[in-house]
Amino acid sequence: MIPAGVVSGSSAPVEVPVEVGEPETFDVTLSDKPWIVIVWNDPVNLIVYVCYVLQKLFGYGRTKAMRLTMQVHNEGKAVVSSGTREKAEADVSRLHAHGLWATMEHPS
Amino acid sequence: MSRFKRLRGGRLQATLDPAEVDLLRALPKELRGLYEADDEDDPVHERLFPRAYLDPTQEEAEAEWQALVHPELLRERMDALELIATSLERGTEHRSKIRVELSEDESQAWLGVLNDARLALGTRLGVAEDTDYTRLDPEDPDAATYAAYVWLTELQGDLVETLMG
Repeated sequence: MIPAGVVSGSSAPVEVPVEVGEPETFDVTLSDKPWIVIVWNDPVNLIVYVCYVLQKLFGYGRTKAMRLTMQVHNEGKAVVSSGTREKAEADVSRLHAHGLWATMEHPS
Repeated sequence: MSRFKRLRGGRLQATLDPAEVDLLRALPKELRGLYEADDEDDPVHERLFPRAYLDPTQEEAEAEWQALVHPELLRERMDALELIATSLERGTEHRSKIRVELSEDESQAWLGVLNDARLALGTRLGVAEDTDYTRLDPEDPDAATYAAYVWLTELQGDLVETLMG
């Protein structure tokens, strides 16, 4: 059983154990915004290489990958994906494996 | 003229100068040392294995993620070094060049190794985006390193363009 977290509507937070069909862990909070993954500009990585990696890892088309890459280049950073903490961590790992500088954060 | 050519079945053909092959052969040993150094104060190590979380309130998550992910990232990089080394051993002479056929996995390994080599050299040299390599002083003690960096940049650009089709 996995606690579902906070049940709204009660005056005090209550944890309600919930049975789920498959084992899964997820962060459920009242403000459930997704984690975002950011790629940062750096002076070494080639524009064409960053574009290639974004296409390869996320399946983006050339146009979208290039737009994101140019945003990294011109603005210093770009959000390249978002999702659960687990997904963001996996995305960051893959980006690091390709030598891109990426971090993840939870927008407040 | 690109050094790389697409072949059937996702394979690539690389045609390189012998001097270029020598340089590529030297990369695995250099990079292996950097990967294994595990010196957290070294900016090259920090660049090769950066943080996932910048938020200082996420130190625990960062430590957990590093513990989980670092061994895998290290192993993948070591495997890539192995692939580039073994692929170079298959090189055959073609006119005055060395020719090597690469599988898809090997092409990806070459791409990763080239990028890592550039990250390492670039960080050491402190390159900036607007560094003008054509105006380098040949007397500069870093001149040979810059030359290697420029050449690796050209090679990687060549490879990416070919892979993108």
